[in-house]
Amino acid sequence: MLLELLQGGDSGGFLLIQDTANYSGRHLLKSFINAALRRDEEVHVFCFETSEEELKEGFQEVQRLHIHNAYEDPLGWTKKAVFTVQQFSLNDLTRVIKLTPHQKTPIVVIDSLSWVLRHVCTTAVCSTLHQLKKGGFVRAIIGLLHADMHQKGTVGSVRHLSTSLITVTPSIMGDNCQAKITKRTKSGKVLQDEHTFSIKEDLTVMLLKSSNTAPQQMVQEEHEIDPTANLTFNLRLSDKEREAKEKLSLPFMFSKEKKKAILHSGANLGRILYEPDANDDFDQEDPDDDLDV
Amino acid sequence: MADIRTIGVGNPGVKSSSFNSTSFQKKTRSKLLSIPGTRPSVQNGQLLVSTGVTSLDFLLGGGLAVGAVLLIEEDRYDSYSRMILKYFLAEGVVCQHELFLASAQDSPDDILKELPSPIMDDVAIPKPMEQPRLSSDPQDSLEAMKIAWRYQNLPKVQSTLTSSSRFGHYYDVSKTMEAEIQQAAKCHRFYLPDHPNQTAPTHSPMLESYSALLKSLQEVIQKEGFEVSKSRNILRIGLHSLGSSLWGDDLCCCDNPKHAHALTTFLYGLRALLRSSLAVAVVTVPSHLIQNRALMGRIAKLCDTAIALESFKGSEMETNPLYKDYHGLLHVRQVPHLNCLASQFPDHRDLAFKLKRKQFSIERLHLPPDLSETVSRVSRVELPGAASTASVCGLSTSANKHLDF
Repeated sequence: MLLELLQGGDSGGFLLIQDTANYSGRHLLKSFINAALRRDEEVHVFCFETSEEELKEGFQEVQRLHIHNAYEDPLGWTKKAVFTVQQFSLNDLTRVIKLTPHQKTPIVVIDSLSWVLRHVCTTAVCSTLHQLKKGGFVRAIIGLLHADMHQKGTVGSVRHLSTSLITVTPSIMGDNCQAKITKRTKSGKVLQDEHTFSIKEDLTVMLLKSSNTAPQQMVQEEHEIDPTANLTFNLRLSDKEREAKEKLSLPFMFSKEKKKAILHSGANLGRILYEPDANDDFDQEDPDDDLDV
Repeated sequence: MADIRTIGVGNPGVKSSSFNSTSFQKKTRSKLLSIPGTRPSVQNGQLLVSTGVTSLDFLLGGGLAVGAVLLIEEDRYDSYSRMILKYFLAEGVVCQHELFLASAQDSPDDILKELPSPIMDDVAIPKPMEQPRLSSDPQDSLEAMKIAWRYQNLPKVQSTLTSSSRFGHYYDVSKTMEAEIQQAAKCHRFYLPDHPNQTAPTHSPMLESYSALLKSLQEVIQKEGFEVSKSRNILRIGLHSLGSSLWGDDLCCCDNPKHAHALTTFLYGLRALLRSSLAVAVVTVPSHLIQNRALMGRIAKLCDTAIALESFKGSEMETNPLYKDYHGLLHVRQVPHLNCLASQFPDHRDLAFKLKRKQFSIERLHLPPDLSETVSRVSRVELPGAASTASVCGLSTSANKHLDF
């Protein structure tokens, strides 16, 4: 699924790359930008955390890459800031994007959302992202979020907004990285996948191993084997034997009246029903009669 | 008797036939309103509407009481709670009630376009619950079981929750409702981005978005005349994902939110509005994002009925063989007792749901019989291991002798 996301099929989506201090998601972000540039798309990057030069490293064709430098002066302390954090609202973003003319609707990349969330309240950021997604000015939004920088509720709220979520964690062996992907389709279905991958020098993603999403079926199918076949002794019944078996009276099988009485014995409590067994000697005489006391 | 006749107006054959209740019918002197799509409850005479999901109706004691709020705690990806909201609205369209839909995330028109289409011919008719055979022919009943005859009169395990009288409708999820049917229903919409930045009264702890919503609801109820004295129809209110950050509420974002009382004040106002009008509300809240459990408890207390959905998607329970037939668990958090002393809690607490094409079924989760081979035998691999660790215990000598009968 990672490769499909890289091809960028659906529009109007918000892809969120969630990383932690253990493994940076910026390489994956750059490979997404690279894939978009290869497809001749216009990419607008708002970078808060890295300098422009560092971001441009590794890309071959940069004429469609527009970087809005918010790294030098994000809070607008000098009055000559290119882009400040306070400008992260729908009107300012669309104005800035519309400054450069282009044929196709652009893709917006935000590096990173964590920086914005530290300075602007979460509800404003969420509503901006949502309006940007719905507005139609941008084709797709890709954002990077550092999950360990925020409270769980904040991370959860931004994740809730996303249509695709990639969580990157370091994999157990070597430099590779493991990605868990959750994608919400337009029809409401949720697809999940897990990959181990590494990123090459030219920012292409190489999948190493993808584990199965379907759980291993532990239940083996058992064929219906007739257990009474192939035995050295006989387990089947002939008709006569079946009749004799049904005639056999079992210890707790009572007569019909007694059964009925026991089953419906709500009304008349305390009635004793006695049915003499075959071995019982039912003698009405009192055995104490011949005592001379 | 004239009084008993009025009870059966909405649905003939409403005589209760569930296993536990009696055939006692309460005499009521008041004239019951006969609004299409509603019926009086057999327990306390409340006017009930169907939620659109018949199993959920059964769980809630026949349906949703008019004037009450149903709170649905959303599952992680908001797939099934949204489905129940759509069922609720679709039921309103079919019963010709009026609808009010409010949302901050998706446009109400988009949600209305996705309503499931009703199944007109009654293909999926639920089987009535089995009656105990107390008064049946004794010959037949006693011949039924030869050895276990004492268990004959106990009811069979009924895992799907159904009642014998049909109230709601069935919907086909794979098709959407036709435009003609949907447009025949009157629907009021509230989409938050269309109501930007209104000034809220400064003393109110409620947010502007919630105040705007409440005001809009009040206007609709007054203008369209849904007050109890003069109304002939029911208003179904669906509020999608209240409390999420798109409503401007930081309930889901922070552990100690600034607007801790915004949603609770709104719910209080909503319930006050509903009690004096013929309206029903279904509210979904993304409770998995709310970090403060005390707040969640307060929100549930302010609504009448509260259920929580927990979907298996993405969690480790997906691979558990116990849950492989189901899509998630359903927890009933709260059931109201309106005008009576005790509430009708469902008998079974462990419920699981499954979204099938023609039915959203809620079933009792019961353990299937464990048919694997090693279920009740001591594993033979373990015994030698035990022998090696237990040196002078009596176990060591008998480890190799497996007692076989």
